[in-house]
Amino acid sequence: MSRKIKDNIVKSIIYLATAITLSVLLFILGFIFVKGIGLVNWDFLTRDYNEKVFYAFTQSEEIPMSIDTDTLSKNTPYDDRYETLTEGPIYIENIGAAVSKISYKNYTSEKEQFVISYIEKGSPLLNAKDSTGATINIKTDFILESINGESFENLTLDEVVSIISSQSGDLKIKVVQPGGGIKSNIITTLYMVLISLLVALPIGIFGAIYLTEYAKPGRIVNIIRFAAETLAGIPSIVFGLFGMAFFVVALNLQISLISGSLTVAIILLPVIIRSTEEALKTVPMAFREGSLALGATKLQTIFKVVLPCAVPGIATAVLLSIGRVVGESAALLLTAGTVSQIPGTLFSPGSTLTVQAYYIAKEEGNIELACAIGIVIIVIVIVLNILSRITSDKLDVFNKK
Amino acid sequence: MEAIKRKKRKEKIVEIIFLICASVAVLSVLAITFFVFYNGLAPFVTNSYPLWNFLSGVEWRPDSNLYGIFYMIVGSVFATFGAILIGVPIAILTAVFISEMASSRIGKAIRFAVELLAGIPSVLYGIFGLGIIVPYVLKISPFAQGESLLATIFVLAIMILPTVVSIAETSIAAVPKEYREGSYALGASKVQTIFRVVLPAGRSGIMTGVILGIGRAIGETMAVMLVCGNPIAGIPTSIFSQIRPLTTNIALEMGYASGVHQQLLYSTGVILFIFIMIINFTVNKLVKQKVGS
Repeated sequence: MSRKIKDNIVKSIIYLATAITLSVLLFILGFIFVKGIGLVNWDFLTRDYNEKVFYAFTQSEEIPMSIDTDTLSKNTPYDDRYETLTEGPIYIENIGAAVSKISYKNYTSEKEQFVISYIEKGSPLLNAKDSTGATINIKTDFILESINGESFENLTLDEVVSIISSQSGDLKIKVVQPGGGIKSNIITTLYMVLISLLVALPIGIFGAIYLTEYAKPGRIVNIIRFAAETLAGIPSIVFGLFGMAFFVVALNLQISLISGSLTVAIILLPVIIRSTEEALKTVPMAFREGSLALGATKLQTIFKVVLPCAVPGIATAVLLSIGRVVGESAALLLTAGTVSQIPGTLFSPGSTLTVQAYYIAKEEGNIELACAIGIVIIVIVIVLNILSRITSDKLDVFNKK
Repeated sequence: MEAIKRKKRKEKIVEIIFLICASVAVLSVLAITFFVFYNGLAPFVTNSYPLWNFLSGVEWRPDSNLYGIFYMIVGSVFATFGAILIGVPIAILTAVFISEMASSRIGKAIRFAVELLAGIPSVLYGIFGLGIIVPYVLKISPFAQGESLLATIFVLAIMILPTVVSIAETSIAAVPKEYREGSYALGASKVQTIFRVVLPAGRSGIMTGVILGIGRAIGETMAVMLVCGNPIAGIPTSIFSQIRPLTTNIALEMGYASGVHQQLLYSTGVILFIFIMIINFTVNKLVKQKVGS
């Protein structure tokens, strides 16, 4: 066989390998987008995952409708991919709101429900309180289940309307705030990013300053570098084990936002130290010498000359860190839990987007919903990737010429 | 004088604060090692479970007090080995394409794609595996489920791609231009130069990439957990067998385990930790060798 043919065969194998790498990426992205895009909408982003049931207490009051029936029927506070309008809407004066009957069907369940499709100004629903006296913010997509103990189950819309209309005076309405969204996971993720950065960023930056500006090459630096490298190589499940033993049990912080954030902060340390170190190294020696020659102390030189020059590098470190927190799951599974709620305090649990995606895929077998969360995660990752590219391009200004 | 002294003291204090911050990394490694080993070795020290039964057992049944992880070690090793076998050649050839054959623009685009692949969280790889790979494996599998060693190998092979590609690519790019020119001058073709000169010269860097890939594969949890099946017993006998790697054993049961059961999950972590430490030391050695040569 001639060399040329042989070379071409080998070349085509190389092309094939590259094509496989690229197509794997496209295939994964494509799969997640195609499977999940149907579920991504405003409600998905702004609703809680769990349905919330309220008993709303209010006074009935006759409120006439201020819009015409055409406009009323155009109010469709439901998603027509999963919910089909079967009856209504019909306006009910004594609660000042319109109700529709909707058949709801998704991956796991199928049911008929009565949904508030319009609320008139001054409606008694707007100042409804729960049993503790707190105001419930009833909105147009809430589900009505009963009024004064009379259940709406298996009734037609006309029957429901006549039941509601016949009530007067005190009303006790069972309403359900619809679930299925990821608002709480988005907020938990934000909290997690903020707290872990707040802890890891100063430690990482100061540590990097020590390594580049103070330490003389030798034992201590080698040990610190080795430790940072070791940390970077430890799998996240081992961090999870440590977080569980140390933060959750030994410090008695429970499975909580703070345990999760502190565990993630340790995971972030090597990332921040390495990027900051690289950034500090690009600042030319002449800058430091000039500053010292002007009579500035070492500290002044570091904070007024060196660090400002390294800002793009630190920004890159922050962006990489955010990516790490958003993508982290195994460590958080053990330290922050799988409860889909907005953590009320530092010591309450909450699941981030990735943990929630895992939980939904594994425990509920709902791949579509997991992919929908995946889309949100991938969008965040791509944005961070592009931003960090921009900041790291800015870093090389001293060496470009 | 007094002012200068105060300034000096302040400088010294800040330096010490910087040193403390730098030592947090060291302290973390020590604390992690201590806590994992302390909890993980406890059952063997206090004799609440025999070490040999733990290491050699092929059943994990907490309800009947059987905790054997041998079949998990085998599962972890098989899955990692398979992933390396499939992933590494593809990754190295991709790296060759980026640094030796592609124009700088195409190279940049592929590098961006590889970085993106590295940025995708592992859970999403798992969901992809569960949605695409597992059903496909089920079609060709003699068993009634698609979660298997094979599915795990595929998912892990994809996941190590970006690690190996980026490190191999860096070390190929670091091979001096003169090597290539010398090879061309001797009449070698491009392909011959790549495989006989460039790759051997970048060997140690590529090896580092491969070993980091092994580390990533053996430590991977969430993606694997969704596609491996997690059986409670049995050494895998075929690529269609279900496996339960060390990592998923911890993640699956840590949430509700207590007592000896919980401690033995830490022991599983100790075994995993030892694997990772061996890998870390090897990488460290390789990197030093490269600097030395």
